[in-house]
Amino acid sequence: MSNLKYRVALILALVAASAWALFPRTVVERVKRDGAFAYDTVRRVPLKRGLDLQGGMHLALEVDESKQAVADKSDALDRALKVVRTRIDEFGVSEPVVQKVGTDRIIVELPGIDDPERAEAVVQKSAFLQFQITDKSQALDKVLPRLDQIIRDRGGVVTTATGDTAARRQVGAIPNLFSTSDSSAGDSTKSDSTVVVGAGGGALSKLLQGGQFPGEYMVAEQDVRTVESYLAIPEVQGALPPGKVLRWSGDTLSMGAQSFRPLYVVDARPIITGEYLTNAKPNNTPIEGTVVEFELNNEGGRRFRNETGKHVGDYMAIVLDDRVMGRPPVIQSAIGTRGQITMGNRDLQSAQDLALVLRAGSLLVPLKIAEVRNIGASLGEDSIAKGTLAMTIAIGFVIAIMVGYYRFSGVLAVGALVLYVLFTMAILAGFGAVLTLPGLAGLVLTVGIAVDANVLIFERIREELDRGKTVRTSIDEGFKHAWSAIVDTSLTTILGGAVLYQYGTGPVKGFAVVLIAGITASLFCAVFVTKTFYLIWLNRSKNVQTLSI
Amino acid sequence: MIRIFHNTSFDFIKWWRQAAIATAAFILLGLASYLWSGGVNYSIEFTGGTLMQLEFTQPPNPAELRSIVDGIAPGAEIQEYGTSREYTIRARSATDADATSTTEGVAKAVATALDAKYTSEGYRVVRTEAVGPKVGSELRRGAMIAMFLVALVTLAYLAFRFEWRFGAAAVLSTAHDVLVTFAFIKLFEIEVSLVVVGAILTLLGYSGNDTIIIFDRVRENLRKVRKEPLYDTLNRSINETLPRSILTHTTTLAATTTLLIFAGEVLRPFAWVMTFGVFVATFSSIYVAGPLLLYIERRFPRSVTDKGQASPARVKADSKVEPRGDRPARPAGGTPRRPATR
Repeated sequence: MSNLKYRVALILALVAASAWALFPRTVVERVKRDGAFAYDTVRRVPLKRGLDLQGGMHLALEVDESKQAVADKSDALDRALKVVRTRIDEFGVSEPVVQKVGTDRIIVELPGIDDPERAEAVVQKSAFLQFQITDKSQALDKVLPRLDQIIRDRGGVVTTATGDTAARRQVGAIPNLFSTSDSSAGDSTKSDSTVVVGAGGGALSKLLQGGQFPGEYMVAEQDVRTVESYLAIPEVQGALPPGKVLRWSGDTLSMGAQSFRPLYVVDARPIITGEYLTNAKPNNTPIEGTVVEFELNNEGGRRFRNETGKHVGDYMAIVLDDRVMGRPPVIQSAIGTRGQITMGNRDLQSAQDLALVLRAGSLLVPLKIAEVRNIGASLGEDSIAKGTLAMTIAIGFVIAIMVGYYRFSGVLAVGALVLYVLFTMAILAGFGAVLTLPGLAGLVLTVGIAVDANVLIFERIREELDRGKTVRTSIDEGFKHAWSAIVDTSLTTILGGAVLYQYGTGPVKGFAVVLIAGITASLFCAVFVTKTFYLIWLNRSKNVQTLSI
Repeated sequence: MIRIFHNTSFDFIKWWRQAAIATAAFILLGLASYLWSGGVNYSIEFTGGTLMQLEFTQPPNPAELRSIVDGIAPGAEIQEYGTSREYTIRARSATDADATSTTEGVAKAVATALDAKYTSEGYRVVRTEAVGPKVGSELRRGAMIAMFLVALVTLAYLAFRFEWRFGAAAVLSTAHDVLVTFAFIKLFEIEVSLVVVGAILTLLGYSGNDTIIIFDRVRENLRKVRKEPLYDTLNRSINETLPRSILTHTTTLAATTTLLIFAGEVLRPFAWVMTFGVFVATFSSIYVAGPLLLYIERRFPRSVTDKGQASPARVKADSKVEPRGDRPARPAGGTPRRPATR
């Protein structure tokens, strides 16, 4: 029987292909060990596990429009995607996923991450680097009296309106019962007004102390918020010296018992930005502590040399995300392509992370985190253990039921079931599908459902036997008549799975994939494989009169 | 050869009234509970908010935990999760549009507070989920669309494979399954997560399968036995497929109950819905789809009916008679060229 030979050959070929697809192979994994990248070789079954099974972190990022509207969101997101991908690639996780979903979201999946907060920081940091010359023309000192005046005027307005505010607050007290946000707004206006009133004359200049060089001011740590609130007043903003901007330092400075936060007046136009940066690496120096050393490309180097040449003797603030890093160094002579950012008293890891985000480039739009899922590795292992246990028990039950009820034919069905599990796993491995916890549940579930096709066929064969047909005819007829019902049920399930795949996310997608792969494999196993088993049996024992079914 | 429910002749359809009353009562109960105590217990994924799963080295005092969490996120739900050492904390986000930062902030604030109380060695955060309200509402919409699409796709497929009367009966019975499952989810306070939506969709497919198997047999029997009322054909088809139904449901039930018992807390809602679903599928394919088909046949009898036939309830499904009445005899076992159903 050549037909039978082909059938057996096809099954054997598929088994071999599946075994090959599932054979544990050596994969090279990039892992981060003691802060350095290393390549590890691991032997494992090439089945991708989802985050919920191996532990890790899932992030959904969106463009943050709370501060400023972004005109072309999709384009901005495309550019952000590249930056985030570069950063993640360097972050040192094996098999990370960074992809755009829809038009307004980036999905980041980091398997096996153990420090979620650090990962979030690396992904979200804008890393916009600017070099700005500090002001030496005492521009702020010149306008300070006016700023004080503005603040006093506002304070005066508030003072005269104190009764008014109080009245407002009382009025506000009634809606307070219904809305908490209203009450907090009322409170904040109240505290603002008291601060302003208490500050009195020279409100701002009183809080600012001259620093060690022009353009540097010291603000006591406890006054920082007050100064910030003054500077946020629109009139004050308008009265600031033109072409200059104010930048806070990222660090505090302690002088005696008090700690101060420096405030710098710098040229609004940066002499150079981070876009020319080609490399950045952390270093530990004995004098300056932790630093990030950077290199600029040729064009950047030329511009940098030019500009610094013009500003010899000036101080240069290194501004990252609107914060001045370290204390601005004095420019001794024209600087070329190399420079360094001092990190103050921060540790090497933050220097590493800064170097990483600088290398990857800056995010032009701020991103906010719309969704975080973080699953511990132990939970994943636990899930795998429980899922495997459930799977084993379910298969045990199904084998018991099938063999107990259908005897010899049941054994054939169990053989087909074993192949079914093998094929399904192989399909998942072959297509690089991700096995998730719901997927594992789907696998257990389809084991129960997969035998349905066999049950349909066997019941049909029994009916045909009851009508007095021969074993061979009954088997043929059984398969033939059960076929349409099997196709119908399989197709509806596959269609449902496809819809689920389209609209599901992460873990549920995994479930849909298992469902589709499982039904396809089950269709083949129940119909083709079982039939082949029967054919082999019929071939070996000619003239059979009875069938154990 | 072991045989169960072999050659039975139960009159299943006779009980359709009782079945209809039972299922309607269940659905109404669910609806009443829905109106009484508000919506379904949606998971964090759908509402937006924060979920933390904690594992303590020593079983903590629940009241103590409560007071710590209440200080940060008032109204958060605290539940024991499997063992007395594991707890979940769910803080649903307020309705304000941009709660993302605060959503995530809750997890950190709770962790800080717990550090102070139990020290960082005393517990472990095994899982955190923080979902912004926008993502949640999108997921909810996606789930709705998915369910609607599955129903639509099933209808289209059944209409293509069977005749529209069969398709309509199958889809209506599928709609019934959804309602019953919703009632079950509401009455047993099962948390509706994405995985549960997946279970509902799988259930739709599974229950649809059962209906298809029976209808397929009805179709076949209609071709074979031409003088039988549809009522009897339905009953006969259900009885003939009974051993298959029992066996398939047993194996599926074995799978879902093992999931329920052994697969852990995360999959439990899924396993509950699937286990319930096996019973719903059995019930609806026999007591809902069958009577619905009968009803539809009665309301919309086949176009060319024999005038001499009796009550429309007893419409012979294949009583079309050629105008000349001299139809050639069909070869046995062959596919009829013009069957009752497409």
